[in-house]
Amino acid sequence: MRLTLILPFLALPAMADVQTVLDDHILPGYAALAEATATLSDAAQADCSAQALRPAYHNAYDAWISVSHIQFGPLEDQALTLQMAFWPDPKDSTGKALARLSAAADPIVDQRDTFDDVSAAAQGFTALERVLYEDQPDSDYACRLTQAIAAGLTDKAASVAAAWPDFGDLMLSAGDDGNSRFQSEIEVQRALFTALSTGLEFLHDQRLGRPLGTFDRPRPRRAEARRSDRSLRHIRLSLSALEALAKTMFEGDMSDTGAAFADAQARADALDDPGLQGVADPAQRFKVEVLQQAVRAVQIAVINDIGAPLGITAGFNSLDGD
Amino acid sequence: MPSRRAFLAGLLSASATPTLGWADVGNPVALSAAMDADGRYLLAGLTATGDIAFSQPLPARGHAAAAHPHIAEAVAIARRPGAFAKVIHCATGAILQTLRAPEGRHFYGHGAFSADGTLLFTTENDIASGAGRIGVWERSLNYRRVDEFTSAGVGPHEILRLPGGTLAVANGGIRTHPASGRDKLNLDTMRPNLAIFDTTGQILDHAEVPDDTHQNSLRHIAAAPDGTVVCGFQWQGDPYAPPALVALYTGNGALKPAGMDAHSLHGLDGYIGSVSAFGRSYAASSPRGHRAFHFDQWGGLTATYPAPDICGLCAAPDGTCLATDGLGQVHRLSNDGLQRLRGHSLAFDNHLVALT
Repeated sequence: MRLTLILPFLALPAMADVQTVLDDHILPGYAALAEATATLSDAAQADCSAQALRPAYHNAYDAWISVSHIQFGPLEDQALTLQMAFWPDPKDSTGKALARLSAAADPIVDQRDTFDDVSAAAQGFTALERVLYEDQPDSDYACRLTQAIAAGLTDKAASVAAAWPDFGDLMLSAGDDGNSRFQSEIEVQRALFTALSTGLEFLHDQRLGRPLGTFDRPRPRRAEARRSDRSLRHIRLSLSALEALAKTMFEGDMSDTGAAFADAQARADALDDPGLQGVADPAQRFKVEVLQQAVRAVQIAVINDIGAPLGITAGFNSLDGD
Repeated sequence: MPSRRAFLAGLLSASATPTLGWADVGNPVALSAAMDADGRYLLAGLTATGDIAFSQPLPARGHAAAAHPHIAEAVAIARRPGAFAKVIHCATGAILQTLRAPEGRHFYGHGAFSADGTLLFTTENDIASGAGRIGVWERSLNYRRVDEFTSAGVGPHEILRLPGGTLAVANGGIRTHPASGRDKLNLDTMRPNLAIFDTTGQILDHAEVPDDTHQNSLRHIAAAPDGTVVCGFQWQGDPYAPPALVALYTGNGALKPAGMDAHSLHGLDGYIGSVSAFGRSYAASSPRGHRAFHFDQWGGLTATYPAPDICGLCAAPDGTCLATDGLGQVHRLSNDGLQRLRGHSLAFDNHLVALT
């Protein structure tokens, strides 16, 4: 079941100031990503060994997962979503792209201004994870590849963060003459709702649904960032980020939503399974299924709390499916 | 110049059966099913500027409509697996006729008139066998069912009149059974295709999707004046590993994939809702990816536009493309981008049908 939030009719009470959403949520999120990736890149230049770099990798990946639900705007306009992190990756594009680079010892890793020409799957956090957590026979090449990915992440994050203030101005000047991106404030609020609903859906269907698979065929190898044991961490971080978005974008009563987020977060906190590998163990799997149901409860609470008072219903076309 | 006799005959028949053309109902250029703020379903005519030319109630949620080529009459076809279609007088809202799918059949939601407006064609499922059928209904006989023929595939969805008067049918390839709702029963063996027929049901060409993407369900089609058919697909495999979801058919049994890279396909859930051909270019909508795509005449992707729940697309007479969304917006898509024309307190349903 897909639960996409949209606004069919023109009524918008209780919406928070767009300025607040920008100042308290989006701009700090992308600024933090730019800072954390710059730190990562500096660390990679100083010492590219996996052991040394892992803490900076975790910090920067945290910053990405905490803001990656805001895909509209500069990230999409610069077509950088997949370059930042290539997941889900059912065809193992990341493994193949990295193998091609390594097999040829491709010197493109030494050219910072052209490294973004390589496959998107070899550019982001998902690629960096492989290099830092899998055996690298050619340690010299792995070092240069690590530095190239880290520098590329820094450049991309800086570019998106630099573009956000101007894009934020477009959100604030919705409806003004010459603003073709947002022709009314309602379009801004729709973009925010779409980010919230798409983020919750991604959490339910992909981050949880993909490794869960079915009872008869669990898919633990499909867990996101399982090599660095970050799968559960991504769930917790995205729950926090989506809750923060919900709370800054809506000022009305959302007590059920708050309770649903708290319940989901508590269930995630209680899981002692960082790579979600327990999905293949019937006793452990149950807890992941319950967490997924708790995320579904958040989706429903968000529709009831934020949706109903604002005239929001499930997507008329996106849910119809024909 | 018509002869005096033909002119008089025309006058006589006109006065005997006063029929209204589309100009008489506010000059709409497109039709769309919709839901209003009170949850009531309706069929609306849209003008070139995105205004509502007329609005008439529908008894249930519509999917697409078949528009008569010159009389202000539309056939609203129930959503899959509905078995009813309503012929609607667009000036009065009167339901002129109710078409019932034959026993053991259901409609798929789309239909098309012949170029002269005498015949209506509907896509149907023969429930017991799963075979796709095209029903033929004669307007002058109060829409009596006069014939039917094979759709040359399973799950025929959209049917379209091509500029030369032939018919194109998008066979989605997916077998369903009303007893199991919209469950897909044959994903491992499905074989979607585009089939071209004359109006007697004689098959003229047939283009299958390639073996390695046989789960790419062909659902929606639109035709350019040169007869090129743009095809919109719904991928049934992993939503994060779809092939191109738009293709062009230019004859000779071949579907040429449009240029959609991993980035453009990301987050669409493998789902294209509608396609359109206009002004030597093409468009496709992804209501689940909340965006619309613009392609050049060779199928190269030229622009992507964000728009929540965008779905309906159709060519407008000025060579641009009209677009609608579930939030009541009417947009114009052209080389100048996606511009919002009007907003209505309506949720527009999946498809815009051009009046041509």
